Amino acid sequence: MSYVSLENSENFLKCFEVIAEDKSCIISDSVLYFSGKTGKGFITVGGIATGIEVLAVNVSMLTEDLTIRFQPSSGATSYILGFDETEIPSKGDNDVPFNQVSSSFEKGHSAISITDAAAGRTITFPKDRIIRSLIVRVRQSSLDHLIKDFDAGTIAAILESPEGAASLSWPITFKYRLLLNDFMTEIVQHPFRELYTIRSVSMLVEFLLQQFFVMDKLRKDGNELSTQDTQSLSRVEQHLCLHYKKEFPGIEKLSRISAMSPTSLKTKFKRYYGETLFGYYQKNKLEHARKLLDSKIPVKVVATEIGYSNPSHFTLAFKKEYGFSPWHYLNPH
Amino acid sequence: MKSQDPDQEKTIKALHWQEFSFPLGLRAAMVKGSAEGLDLALPDFHGQGFTLSFINHKGDLRIKTGSRPEDREQSASPGLGLMSVAGRRIMFRSGAPVSFAALVLFIPAGWVRLFLGSNPQFRKIEQLLEEEPNVLTCRLGRRQLSLLSLALAVLTEKELHLLNVQNNALSLMEFFLCNRHRSLLGVNPSSDIDNEDDLSLIREVESYISEYYCSDTFTVDSILKKTYTSYHRLNFLFKSIHGMTISEYIRNKRIEKSKEMIADNVKSISQIAYEIGYSSISNYILAFKKVYQITPGKYKKQIDSLA
Repeated sequence: MSYVSLENSENFLKCFEVIAEDKSCIISDSVLYFSGKTGKGFITVGGIATGIEVLAVNVSMLTEDLTIRFQPSSGATSYILGFDETEIPSKGDNDVPFNQVSSSFEKGHSAISITDAAAGRTITFPKDRIIRSLIVRVRQSSLDHLIKDFDAGTIAAILESPEGAASLSWPITFKYRLLLNDFMTEIVQHPFRELYTIRSVSMLVEFLLQQFFVMDKLRKDGNELSTQDTQSLSRVEQHLCLHYKKEFPGIEKLSRISAMSPTSLKTKFKRYYGETLFGYYQKNKLEHARKLLDSKIPVKVVATEIGYSNPSHFTLAFKKEYGFSPWHYLNPH
Repeated sequence: MKSQDPDQEKTIKALHWQEFSFPLGLRAAMVKGSAEGLDLALPDFHGQGFTLSFINHKGDLRIKTGSRPEDREQSASPGLGLMSVAGRRIMFRSGAPVSFAALVLFIPAGWVRLFLGSNPQFRKIEQLLEEEPNVLTCRLGRRQLSLLSLALAVLTEKELHLLNVQNNALSLMEFFLCNRHRSLLGVNPSSDIDNEDDLSLIREVESYISEYYCSDTFTVDSILKKTYTSYHRLNFLFKSIHGMTISEYIRNKRIEKSKEMIADNVKSISQIAYEIGYSSISNYILAFKKVYQITPGKYKKQIDSLA
């Protein structure tokens, strides 16, 4: 198992170099490419100049777990934000056995987290997974700056309260998945890497805050979900996100995946994700369609690509969601 | 900041810029509304840097750049991005009722250094802009227009967070810069194609060809399938950029490669023909002859005699 330990005072560039040395990888233009022996993919750092450090990890098929540990330190207050998406590579049939999914929860599951750097943090990237992850270290002053018009005090209060955990974490939604996916495909080639990094981080922080306040409200209303419910719901969420090309799986199947009754699944999902099951599935699906349209793929092809057998059904759904048809999306003037 | 002529101000319900300062250090001014007429100058941010404006309008709108009276006025199409050096005069004018929405970002010089400076191409953008009264423009797509209207919603909705507005603004800025960047990288000024989509299509096809041209299953059809273009369109684009059809282009690439392989003097000619994707040797010989006016065998002999 390879292990990278990081003092709080050290910057991410250092961490990056340690990983490179350990895995004997090539760094070119501040991107570290894994060679075929140790895994596939890349790791890159960004935002060093701006004081918001970002370590982007996009790897699959690691041959051994990669662990990064931030040593607790009492230096300048900063937060470590983690945006992780872990996928189990599909082997022919796309239906992942449930026991396998639940085992992935033990370490390195898909989650967003916010940690006080003073408490230290260990991040493990498990082997044989598809991993997209952004680790962001941001000074408290910068974060306050970034979110000054939000009620930032709430977050600080929870993180600093003695009885609260030093780390908050909750499951991710399709917005994060899409953004992480985009980020990883574009970052290496992007002509303005710093701008793109800061834009993405800023958007992630926005999502994070939105979700944080939803969670906080749920907590205050006494509707907090149990750990088990959270896991079950995020299994359902992951299923909906990954199989957007297929038909909507139907409530029976989803309730089997979550091991909940259909009614309680529906209520809890709505409460937690703010959307109905189908609404969530549809939003994700159409967002994928919108992306395809952005890359100049014809409407007909897009419809087939995301699993519509009839293009006009796609057009209707698109119009219902965004208020204009795909054609008008492509030709706005 | 408001209309210049005091008499005009009485008759025109003037639109005002509303200023914001984003968490990341960008400043912005926004305006949205309808008026009987328009005579609005870009706000002055009193600083070094660039301004990047995104505008959309319904009705008739002309844009005047430069401060001299003889500088030209241009009528604008809806949905535009404009970039210029901060402090330079840009006027938005209209004599008829118009509904106008604009988001102006001020990018301070320090910000430029930090976020954009690492790209060598950005120097070119700066150089282009230094010349008076140069303004870089770019048309916005639907996605950008909806980002713009989302950002402008901050004017009417108090609920919206600045972080959200900032993110929409950053996305717009990224779109603009990437768009300019693409056209800086690839434009061949002598060709009559200046459409960026077409250029990026050609680049894509070129890179696809250079990757696969040696495979014997490679066909023009596979390119068409991959890029969703028609054969005629692709040929037309190729002709205007390279002066040859796409199949000629592929043939030349293959033959060039085979010429190198002959010079290496490791493989026989029939082996080479097979390796670069020809299924019959006589086809290969004919193709070689067409390009270099000599058969590969004779070429090989020439090289051997030179050695």
